[in-house]
Amino acid sequence: MQTIIEPFRIKSVEPIYFNTREERITILEKAFYNPFLVHANAVLIDLLTDSGTSAMSSHQWAGIMQGDESYAGSTSYFRFEETIQRITGLPLVIPTHQGRAAEKILFSILGGKGKYFLSNTLFDTTRANIEYSGAEGVDLVCEEGKHPSIPAPFKGNMDTGALKKCIAEKGAANIPLCIITVTNNSGGGQPVSMQNIREVKAICEANNIPMFIDACRFAENAYFIKLREEGYRHTAIPDIVKELFSYADGCTMSAKKDAFANIGGFLAMHDEKLAQLCRNMLIMTEGFPTYGGLAGRDLEAIAIGLTEVMDEHYLQYRIRSIEYLTNHLIAAGVPVMQPAGGHAIYLDAKEFLSHVPVEQYPGQALVGALYIHGGIRGVEIGSLMFGKYDADQKLIPAPLELVRLAIPRRVYTQSHIDYVAEVIIEVYHQRDAIKGLTIIEEAPMLRHFTAKLKPVD
Amino acid sequence: MTTAAQRKKAMKEAGYNTFLLKSEDVYIDLLTDSGTSAMSDRQWAGMMLGDEAYAGSRNFYHLEEVVREVYGYKYLIPTHQGRGAENILSKILIKKGDIIPGNMYFTTTRLHQELAGGKFEDIIIDEAHDPENEFPFKGNIDLEKLKKLIKKHGAQKIPYVSMATSVNMAGGQPISMKNLKELRTLTKKHGIRVIHDMTRVAENAYFIQQKEKGYEHKTIKTIVKEICSYTDGATMSAKKDALVNIGGFLAVNDWDVFEEARNMVVVYEGLHTYGGLAGRDMEAMAIGIGESVCDDHIRARVGQVIYLGEKMMEYDVPIVKPIGGHGIFVDAKKFLPHIPQDRFPAQTLAAELYLDSGVRTMERGVVSAGRKANGENYFPKLELVRFTIPRRVYTQAHMDVIAESAARVYQRRKAITGMKMIYEPKYLRFFQAKFEKL
Repeated sequence: MQTIIEPFRIKSVEPIYFNTREERITILEKAFYNPFLVHANAVLIDLLTDSGTSAMSSHQWAGIMQGDESYAGSTSYFRFEETIQRITGLPLVIPTHQGRAAEKILFSILGGKGKYFLSNTLFDTTRANIEYSGAEGVDLVCEEGKHPSIPAPFKGNMDTGALKKCIAEKGAANIPLCIITVTNNSGGGQPVSMQNIREVKAICEANNIPMFIDACRFAENAYFIKLREEGYRHTAIPDIVKELFSYADGCTMSAKKDAFANIGGFLAMHDEKLAQLCRNMLIMTEGFPTYGGLAGRDLEAIAIGLTEVMDEHYLQYRIRSIEYLTNHLIAAGVPVMQPAGGHAIYLDAKEFLSHVPVEQYPGQALVGALYIHGGIRGVEIGSLMFGKYDADQKLIPAPLELVRLAIPRRVYTQSHIDYVAEVIIEVYHQRDAIKGLTIIEEAPMLRHFTAKLKPVD
Repeated sequence: MTTAAQRKKAMKEAGYNTFLLKSEDVYIDLLTDSGTSAMSDRQWAGMMLGDEAYAGSRNFYHLEEVVREVYGYKYLIPTHQGRGAENILSKILIKKGDIIPGNMYFTTTRLHQELAGGKFEDIIIDEAHDPENEFPFKGNIDLEKLKKLIKKHGAQKIPYVSMATSVNMAGGQPISMKNLKELRTLTKKHGIRVIHDMTRVAENAYFIQQKEKGYEHKTIKTIVKEICSYTDGATMSAKKDALVNIGGFLAVNDWDVFEEARNMVVVYEGLHTYGGLAGRDMEAMAIGIGESVCDDHIRARVGQVIYLGEKMMEYDVPIVKPIGGHGIFVDAKKFLPHIPQDRFPAQTLAAELYLDSGVRTMERGVVSAGRKANGENYFPKLELVRFTIPRRVYTQAHMDVIAESAARVYQRRKAITGMKMIYEPKYLRFFQAKFEKL
């Protein structure tokens, strides 16, 4: 059969509130052309993020009702711990209220001035946490990963040559950690191959550098390995996952992605001494080690979600629906990151709006156009998110100007996706009328969340 | 249910620290009233209405509206819990070398003040340190102590006064409205902010209604709003009064502080319209705040605590008086006078209570107080065991079991020996420390 159906039925629905194009023009203007400042009920299809926006399963909701809210030693915690140990093989588990809190704890212990964290590509909050500690983050994605329009099977891979060179340059003693992000979110949700993880691990081991996995989308990455990497076609997803984590000294995870949870995260590792330091820090900012700032019910929902996500019917549906949208867009000539990633489609805004210079944030301009035309909310991953200023306050642009349309898990159906494709293609045909933007107000860190902008005349 | 033998084993494995027990080994859990409330049917319905959008969730706007209406604070930053709000506030307002006066320390609050470079100074009235003193408002601030601090350090060294309603470490003791008004007048004169640790504000309001002249006919809701009106901002752990299992917030009236907090919350907690909370949890909080200021609810809540306290007094168990709002605090120094404070009498007593009946309580004495910057132990005047009552969870029959167990342990108190600490974490040691029986 050709058609892949959603592997679920809908038990509970949440209405979409419709508005008109004219209303959206006013709304966007009032939100200073920043979709983060738009109220959620003014959005028709919300593709801002796949983080925390998943639909939970009936089993997860049942788990929510069974949460043990004891402050210390909650039964829900022990279920959570046991599940993570079983899936990852990592023995020491520390819950946090979300992924960035896990990062915050890890980097404030390992970071500091003069330290370097090497990665395929660090995500925005990860990078912010590293820089906040005084350390520097270095992205070493492979060459294929830098070219949106050229398809390759594992564009999230780390450039191992560059890794060796960087270690030699900075000195292994100044590199507390190497982090592999699976899948590579900022680089287009592109997977990392098992081979690459193995090679990176070997290089790290030779230099005595621990390797951690940023595991937000571990199951999506595992599915790509199954599809694309030699020798894994007949391996079950849980076994691929287990192998993937077997190379890691630890991981950080935002459970808001591949654990279908609306809130939560964790740290897991082998090193007992590091874990104790993390727990001491956890108590100050998160909560006691058996709840980590989460309700007991959320620990239950995460434990159940982590198991559900490895179901192959689910992963097939998940990966194919992103591919379906990508292929539609390619057929219409829309410049889109190729091949399709695991959780989102990435429009190449530099090419889409070739008349808008990078100083005018073409990605953000495109985000605005998609909202006005179809009520779709996406997010810029380009110079607004990652750009910096040089000594003369001139913008140092990010290497790519992308618009990410992240697909929440189990939330939208094929007709929603068809609508999204239609909107993007129509906007593409009218692209010459879209104007660039200029910043009128910004925060010193993570400015894209709260920045205010206005159109360039 | 567990047997005495099972409890003996579990307690030993937990290093005689009740925090390290598994909840399934606990019969009645009085470790904390934080996050352990039963939600109402309306709150559970609200849970189903969670809008989990990353930005601009409906639940955030609902919560913001409720905080404005019930507490009167203008700007809201949600956080995943109270300590998240304390972390952000301390980082914004405190400079190195600053002094933060407050009505008795609280563990996480003081830690965040110290980590931001400040020093906490206790300005609670002396009566608060005397468990026998029956003064009705033992949470009051000694304004003379505050004046002295201002004179000594200058007002510019004092970014704010940290004012808690229902002072936890003093035994859930309230502050009076009169004292608050005077505090406002004094601080206003010197341009010092008052930041409200408001986690149990409704319980404090109940004592004002019951004991302060002029408030006997006012509703809890009116009193709560008046309390907040004398302050400039607040940190809230919604896991107490607001009847939720997770959540908190920072609320301020000052736009500049709000803007800075909004930029900082993204780094630590989450975008400012969810602050590290699921949408459904913001909805449950908004509904819980409304329920927390209902007179009927608060009367039943504090009434249950008073019932337990009176029962214990009948059995001669020494408790902090008057009875506070969220729990019974047993005076371990008086209960176990033969155990010196460096042998951890309160920690010992909490372990004995568990061994007797499976009731889990918490130490609030020398272990919780921790160490000074020079490494010496703080030896607090109060060496207490806290029996914290979760809201709407246990019935009167449970209260009877608890009082009877305390009485049984009291009967055989002379045979109880102290403990020594064998593992001590650097910060907030009471959570994870381990002990051995002597």
